[in-house]
Amino acid sequence: MPTIIIDDREIEVAPGTKVIEAAEQLGIMIPRFCYHPALGSVGACRVCAVKFLQGPFKGVQMSCMVDAQDDMVVSTTDKEAVAFRKYVIECLMLHHPHDCPVCDAGGHCLLQDMTVSGGHGIRRYLGKKRTYPDQYLGPLIQHEMNRCIHCYRCSRFYQDFGGYHDLGAMQSANQTYFGRFEEGILESPFSGNLIDICPTGVYTDKPSRYFGRRWDYERSPSLCINCSLGCQTVVSCRYRKVVRQEARLSESVNGHFICDRGRYGFFYNSLAQRPRSCIVDDQTTSVDQALAAVKQKLETFADKDRAQAVACAGSTRNSLETLAMVKHVCQTNRWQPPAYFEDAAATYKLKSAISRLEPDLTVSLREIESADFIAVLGADPLNEAPMLALALRQAQRKGATVAVFDPRPIFLPFEFKHLPANLDMIQTDLGALLNAALEPAALKKLDGSAREFYASLATVKQISAARQAEIVALAELLKASQRPIIVCGTEMVRRQTPALAADYALLMQAAGKSVGLFYVMPGANGFAAGLLADEDVSVETLIAGIEKGSIKMLILVESNPLWQFPDRHRLEQALQQLEVLVVMDYINSEVAQKADIFLPTTTLYETGGVYVNQEGRAQGVKPAYQGGIPIAQTGHGDHPPRVYGTEIPGAEPQAAWQLLAHLIGTGQPLTAEDLRAEIWQWLAKIDSGFKALPCVADIQPQGARFFQAPHAAERFLRERPIGGADNDGQLEVMAVEMTFGTEELSADSACLKALAGSPVIFMYSSDAKQLNLTDGDRVSVELNGGAVEARLQVTANMAAGMLIIPRHKDLDWQKMNTDKTFVHKDQIRKLKD
Amino acid sequence: MLPDKLKKTLEKQIAHTDHPRELVVDAMLALQDHYGYLSDAAVEEAASLLGMSALEVEELATFYTFIYREPVGKYVIHVCDSLICWMDGYESVKNYLCEKLNIEVGGTSTDGLFTLLPVCCIGYCDQAPAMLINRKVYGDLTPEKIDQILEKFRSEA
Amino acid sequence: METYPQILLENRKPDRIITLKEYEQNSGYVALKETLKQHSESDIIQMIEDANLLGRGGAAFPTGFKLKTVAADAPFPRYLVCNADEMEPGTFKDRVLIHTNPHMMIEGMIIAGYTIKAEKGIIFIRPEYESGAKILEREVRRAQEAGYLGKNILGSDYSLEIVVHRSGGRYICGEVTAQLNAMMGKRPNPMQPPPYPTEKGVWGLPTVLSNVETFACIPHIVRQGPDWFKGLASTDTGAGTKLFCISGRVNRPGVYELPMGIRLNEIIEKYAGGMPAGSEFKACLPGGASTGFLPKAHYDIEMDFESLKKVGNRLGTGAIMVFDQNTCLVDATLNLTEFFARESCGWCTPCREGLPYVCDLLLRLENGDGEEDMIPILEDMGKHLWSAYCAFAPGAAAPLQSLLIHFREEVEEHIGQKKCPFKQ
Ligand SMILES: Cc1cc2nc3c(=O)[nH]c(=O)nc-3n(C[C@H](O)[C@H](O)[C@H](O)COP(=O)(O)O)c2cc1C
Ligand code: SF4
Ligand code: FES
Repeated sequence: MPTIIIDDREIEVAPGTKVIEAAEQLGIMIPRFCYHPALGSVGACRVCAVKFLQGPFKGVQMSCMVDAQDDMVVSTTDKEAVAFRKYVIECLMLHHPHDCPVCDAGGHCLLQDMTVSGGHGIRRYLGKKRTYPDQYLGPLIQHEMNRCIHCYRCSRFYQDFGGYHDLGAMQSANQTYFGRFEEGILESPFSGNLIDICPTGVYTDKPSRYFGRRWDYERSPSLCINCSLGCQTVVSCRYRKVVRQEARLSESVNGHFICDRGRYGFFYNSLAQRPRSCIVDDQTTSVDQALAAVKQKLETFADKDRAQAVACAGSTRNSLETLAMVKHVCQTNRWQPPAYFEDAAATYKLKSAISRLEPDLTVSLREIESADFIAVLGADPLNEAPMLALALRQAQRKGATVAVFDPRPIFLPFEFKHLPANLDMIQTDLGALLNAALEPAALKKLDGSAREFYASLATVKQISAARQAEIVALAELLKASQRPIIVCGTEMVRRQTPALAADYALLMQAAGKSVGLFYVMPGANGFAAGLLADEDVSVETLIAGIEKGSIKMLILVESNPLWQFPDRHRLEQALQQLEVLVVMDYINSEVAQKADIFLPTTTLYETGGVYVNQEGRAQGVKPAYQGGIPIAQTGHGDHPPRVYGTEIPGAEPQAAWQLLAHLIGTGQPLTAEDLRAEIWQWLAKIDSGFKALPCVADIQPQGARFFQAPHAAERFLRERPIGGADNDGQLEVMAVEMTFGTEELSADSACLKALAGSPVIFMYSSDAKQLNLTDGDRVSVELNGGAVEARLQVTANMAAGMLIIPRHKDLDWQKMNTDKTFVHKDQIRKLKD
Repeated sequence: MLPDKLKKTLEKQIAHTDHPRELVVDAMLALQDHYGYLSDAAVEEAASLLGMSALEVEELATFYTFIYREPVGKYVIHVCDSLICWMDGYESVKNYLCEKLNIEVGGTSTDGLFTLLPVCCIGYCDQAPAMLINRKVYGDLTPEKIDQILEKFRSEA
Repeated sequence: METYPQILLENRKPDRIITLKEYEQNSGYVALKETLKQHSESDIIQMIEDANLLGRGGAAFPTGFKLKTVAADAPFPRYLVCNADEMEPGTFKDRVLIHTNPHMMIEGMIIAGYTIKAEKGIIFIRPEYESGAKILEREVRRAQEAGYLGKNILGSDYSLEIVVHRSGGRYICGEVTAQLNAMMGKRPNPMQPPPYPTEKGVWGLPTVLSNVETFACIPHIVRQGPDWFKGLASTDTGAGTKLFCISGRVNRPGVYELPMGIRLNEIIEKYAGGMPAGSEFKACLPGGASTGFLPKAHYDIEMDFESLKKVGNRLGTGAIMVFDQNTCLVDATLNLTEFFARESCGWCTPCREGLPYVCDLLLRLENGDGEEDMIPILEDMGKHLWSAYCAFAPGAAAPLQSLLIHFREEVEEHIGQKKCPFKQ
């Protein structure tokens, strides 16, 4: 471990640590522009110059380009180094427009900071300033090239780190220009990070443009709840509104970055149409009256037998507090067990995934970056958990092989192997891969069931001839791999797939590999919901109960089955059959509009909460602001408002879990803090794993890992791995998630609308050929509940025998079965344009 | 649109190499020869031939002196303005050309034949002042010599 | 006039290149044959090292040492690159060499390639040398037809293919690492080592890159021995001959092959035909635009790498640009700096922004708008250019800094007279 002396202080650092990083460990912040911990050193800006006094290097050198080594003595305050840094800053300011007063980066601008700290204050340059034209880059990012200091961070992030190639450096010398070939929406779904990494104001946040200075904002750590990864963020609030979200460094989850769905997924919070008042039978009332109305309805079902006529559903966007409270209320009041998922299979898959996340298999998102072989099974990273795609890319850049076994038309921003096959065959392929890659001799130490499992794997010969060569080639790479990871989806896949993924991982572990297992789950709190859910209970079973007449009252807690339930007609009928529908939510969902009694709830930004991500990492968020209607809305655009009072307008909403607490017992409700404490005690009784999770106030930035209390999760399934099913000339329909437009909360963000594109249906090229269809045709697909119409996208990059329908908001796709859905080829018709 | 023959030639060349990107300058020069300059469409064609994005091609196209991203005349005159030519009469050569072609530096003559651009040392300092026309050199320039050269190109055009 | 042995320009024809046959009749490809027959890779490298062959591209890097740094277990395919970019203002020797006898450098490439087991050879050439590129393509083909290139060269188990890679034209493409990027179809920004090109060059594979003239020396070293080669120089520190390009205020500008270490006055007066009538030597750039002004005090300096280093200058590419008493060196420095500012790749700050800043100040001085305090600013800037990313900016600093050291009075006159003293 090299030891280096910087400014008379000694520090021992890990080999390969740059001097700039070593200094940072000492608390010395050497100026930098081009250096960024995630992007590395390139030595372009030259502002990190320090003087090397002793050791292998001498004189003024860039601290970002030199590894700290023994015997090095470095001065950051040496006159020569200081003079050079000052000169560099002077150079960078020659053409700067000095438009700080109107720049949205003002106040959080590295260039401002360095200009001041570097001591450059007086302009000596007498020449003219260079000016650049700006480009339209889409709805998210404002371009202002005159502020550019040419640190190349943007193109390095965008292309090298992110894998997209529509933004980069053009021209040269002092005309170097960063932008696109032509104006237009940036292709990368990670483009918002440009705002965070740009050390000045070239890329600024467009939706929040001119809204405030960083110091004007209430800024607080937050969390993205737009998918299951749980990326850490910082939100900025002002005038009772969340206005901006940025990435927050998380060493275990998202690193320095977040995706655009996450960055811009918060607008639901401050929409004008956000419901703020209770409604009982179409009349606006107070919370107390609404709660009284609910209680009154519940009276009818008070006695023991009738209690079963009440059901309650939460969802994966509930905080852990709410999820727990939903269950607690149901249990205490002896209602039906709560539903958190659309169908029972989802519960099953999540439960099996959770039970298989053993401590030495579970890997974090960051750990994926150091894998050398990654098999993705039944997951579409970019569309289901965008930051996963970015993590996979980092692994691939370091040389990892990424193989995706999934029927969908998968795109990832790097070179990878896609082995499209239907949902049954993907297991066969992966089984054959393992079979070919693992030496039976090395597996000797396996116990009986494991050996049996190994013996049951498909052989390479059993898979299609066309695929064999690919599998054999991959097997060679897997054989050589030290640190393989299995990534497995839990949403689209068959019931046993998540458990099989764990078995595959265990097999590799037995072969001496240091294996990782990573699941992708539905929703921000799918993990916790899966844990708390009762097996075989789902929205679908509730519907069946309503249909049978056994359920008469339904309470939906931040849950909107109409968004995603595959058979809309059936759901709507069931809702009509109910005697009472109570909805608690913070969005004005379709189902909220049908409620007999509606109670508004608070959002994550107002109440905080705990969310458990897909690896079982519980992360807590404190409230970001006090809530209420944005001033812009109360003032009708006028500011400041002319009506004064002590109450915050529009602050009636309460946390769902607090509202629910009113429905238990008769005693005086507890304070929020006490109630939370009670919830935690109660959770610990459900699973001792919860004991490890601190309450929201105490959760550390890295979160706390939840591991299910050890119990006999069945390892190595007895059932044979699933083979291929012949679908008899039918196409299996899969309704799938997209990066933008299918996730409920972010779908309310106006700025993301343009990114969602228009609805399409994907079909495999030879299937299309058989049906005489070509790319771009408008088609109608006759599903069980009626026809779905969209443009066809024909691709060879997906499995045959499938029809992939993205759940686009503008597509009326909910006409499917609740189980598998098939269509006959003659149910697909070409429409006239 | 790229003529089939040129497209085939380029495709063949590209198929022949392990790294298509190696050929990006060749492809740009070929397309430029065909179109007269590297038009937006040509950038996109080069990109699709080479499996690159248009931006990636643009990153290079705008870097190189001899790739023209704007329309130029049939003959591009690059007059050397580096030290030796500068000392030996670059200024008068440039002025003479401007006057003869009735254009300014960077402009194209109204007949669309000539574009005049400065260029850094072209490696013919022993024949200063010198210039290139369509990448062919003309050295030891005098007004008479320039007249002859322009005449020759005019008559060929 | 004393005539020195002509090695690289042997049998130079006034109007055409030497044919392969003519070259063969003059011991062409003999060195290659010997190499393949009787020399091991390390033998050849040793010879080149013993010959003290220093790179002719401007940096004077020992060629033998460079070849040695390709590790024995380095991966394949390995690349050999001939740098025929020759963008250094004042330099045109590679052009002359290519138009005299392209096979000499091709043979040198094959022998050098053999020492590192290179399979792929690339000649990187500037677009201004289109005629040279065509010649090289044709002669490479002929060499291949004659069995000197391609699979199993002359029946040995060594194989090498050579292709010509045309640049799109930028000075920075001459710099090794920028050239690697250019060849890979990336933006030609330089890349600071490590890794060194000999470890990770083109497509991440070991790459040796040398100048045209450097390669052309190799067959002679192999055929006639290191001692003979060293003996060609007129100084102890030098080795071999050098192609001097001479231009500016001389009667016979051109390329002259002369012993390394020959005195400057001898080159100017004997070979370049002296200065025109009425012209008096004021200064010269001894080795291209990125070397400093050499004042009259050094008029008889021995032109080799060592002696120039001693006086704080560089031999660079050996491109001597001569100025007389009527040349304004402030204006000349402005021209040079404009060149550098325009050709900067734009990667690092001192070069991208600093050089136009220097131009701005020099232009003010030249136009009579100079102020006293501009001199210390320019001095600082010259110093700061040394902390740029690559060797481009220190090269750009050379004329500026030498102007301020050796011709400070001239600069001060511009300020004092509020005009350029050389202009009417
Ligand atoms: C800005 C810059 C431009 C250069 N241009 C050339 C060039 O045109 N030709 C050349 O041979 N070397 C050039 N060099 C030197 C090369 O980087 C490299 O040192 C040389 O080609 C190696 O060959 P050698 O060892 O035979 O000299 C340049 C260096 C710099 C810094
Ligand atoms: S000194 Fe910097 S900007 Fe100049 S050429 Fe080198 S890397 Fe490019
Ligand atoms: S941070 Fe080191 S050169 Fe930019």
